[in-house]
Amino acid sequence: MRRTTLWKIRKFTLIYAIVVIAAVWTLFPVYWMVKSSLTPNDVMYTPKPSLLPSHWTLLHYRELIKAGFMRYVYNSLYVALICTVVCVFISVIASYSLTRLKFKGRKFVAKSIIYSYLLPASVLFIPMYVAVSRLGLNDNKNALLIVYPTFIVPYCCYMLISYFKAIPESLEEAALIDGCSSLQTLYKIIVPIAAPGIAVVATFTFTMSWNEFLYALCLTTSPNQQTVTIGIASFKISDQAIWGLLMSSSVVASIPAVMLYFLAQRFLKSGLSAGGVKF
Amino acid sequence: MRAEALGRKYDRALAYTLILPVAFVIFIVIGIPFVQALYLSLTNKTVGVEPAFIGLKNYVTILSDPDYWKVLRNTFVYMIACVAVKLVLGMILAVVLNEKFPLRGLFRGIFLIPWGLSGMVTAMTWRWIYDDTYGILNSLFMRWGLIDTPIPWISGIHIALVSCILVDVWRGIPFFMFSLLGGLQTIDRQMYEAATIDGAGWTRQFFGITVPSVMPVIAITALLSCIWTFNDFENIFLVTGGGPVHASAVISVYTYEVAFLQNAMGKSLAVAGSVIPILVVMIIVATRRLNTDA
Repeated sequence: MRRTTLWKIRKFTLIYAIVVIAAVWTLFPVYWMVKSSLTPNDVMYTPKPSLLPSHWTLLHYRELIKAGFMRYVYNSLYVALICTVVCVFISVIASYSLTRLKFKGRKFVAKSIIYSYLLPASVLFIPMYVAVSRLGLNDNKNALLIVYPTFIVPYCCYMLISYFKAIPESLEEAALIDGCSSLQTLYKIIVPIAAPGIAVVATFTFTMSWNEFLYALCLTTSPNQQTVTIGIASFKISDQAIWGLLMSSSVVASIPAVMLYFLAQRFLKSGLSAGGVKF
Repeated sequence: MRAEALGRKYDRALAYTLILPVAFVIFIVIGIPFVQALYLSLTNKTVGVEPAFIGLKNYVTILSDPDYWKVLRNTFVYMIACVAVKLVLGMILAVVLNEKFPLRGLFRGIFLIPWGLSGMVTAMTWRWIYDDTYGILNSLFMRWGLIDTPIPWISGIHIALVSCILVDVWRGIPFFMFSLLGGLQTIDRQMYEAATIDGAGWTRQFFGITVPSVMPVIAITALLSCIWTFNDFENIFLVTGGGPVHASAVISVYTYEVAFLQNAMGKSLAVAGSVIPILVVMIIVATRRLNTDA
């Protein structure tokens, strides 16, 4: 009895030692970002910055708005919202077709989706740049609406296919017998049942477009067309960095991430399959 | 079969109509630029100039460039180091979180945070922490007496790549942790009880039961992370920019540099194209393990 109690104390000590170290390591950068965004310049630029906040200011946030940061936010919202709505819609109907209807080339399309899901942007960004120039869409945020589906659609389809497969077909069969058409089973049965899953996919999709950097960097050049990620980068020109603005804009850009975070927590509790979440 | 009996086989037209937009994205919007990229890598394409076919000359040029080999080596070092560290730390946290203890939910929530932040936000925050003059990291290390002179996290030729690896590890641990935790939760607890009765210690239980049981999850998680880390652009581009003198440059950053700073599109596509065989192997192995049939 005493031995097991001792063993338990040791075990809990070890567990808490690990999780506390890991929590400090995880939280410190986040704390430092928020703290720096609220610290006045004269306190921030010292060789011995203090760990705890001593002075508060919202000056960086005010400057951020003055610098026209909201324009980047608007552009990001524009791109991310349109991409999400269009990509989720076309992926829902395609995933239905792939999981419920039989047709020639079905396996080939399904395989192609997985391949393109794993195909990285680092291979595609130069040809995309060339193609966008040919279309005359240089420095136009609408070009992003063409390019972003290349990584969003494969992701959406991959996720939705596994959601749809989990829905028992017997439900639809009953509806088909009652005289529903195939299309009616999609929007009357599958979509309502898969709604929570579709919502999660839509949130991830929104965040993926919101966070995207490489294509936005290559395809847009003027502040009127650029997105939030590029807006943050604009406060750092080669070695000259305005850290107050960089940190406050980072906090603003993280708002959708916070949203995703709360949604994802619930989703992750139900078990996350490998590859289901791209980061 | 039953679905066909119910007349769904007549829905072929509907099936193709529903798949059409996605097929357009995959075969036209991705497919055409991809094929065009392979062709342009055989030309002397620069911005705004019509390309002329020059055969394999770009590939010969890059393969005889010591910079290319340095960058390729960095890419592998970066990928292997990042994935190995993320796997080990992710596994430790997953095992710990699989135990029941007070405040477990809170810690699980905390560990998830980095994965929610964007690569840009993460990179900028760390860049500020690493800063040579005002960075908190050097300041803390000096206050604690760990170092006498500041470490040049960003500009040090030997440390720059390590700095990038640390940032990627910070951001990537949650993905491993949650993937592996999902795997651990499927293990039957009775196996451990039986092993304990047989007198197997903690290490033997871990390597005899835990690791073999979650091996498939470990494999696919590591493989996906390898693909993403191998092609990672923004982390290195934003933290060190690949510098100093390519000390921390990887293939994707080098591709960007050749294309937009050296203004040699054809050559940069050859750089990107040269690693496609490596990528294809990783993708084929990964797709075998992912659930691919619709």
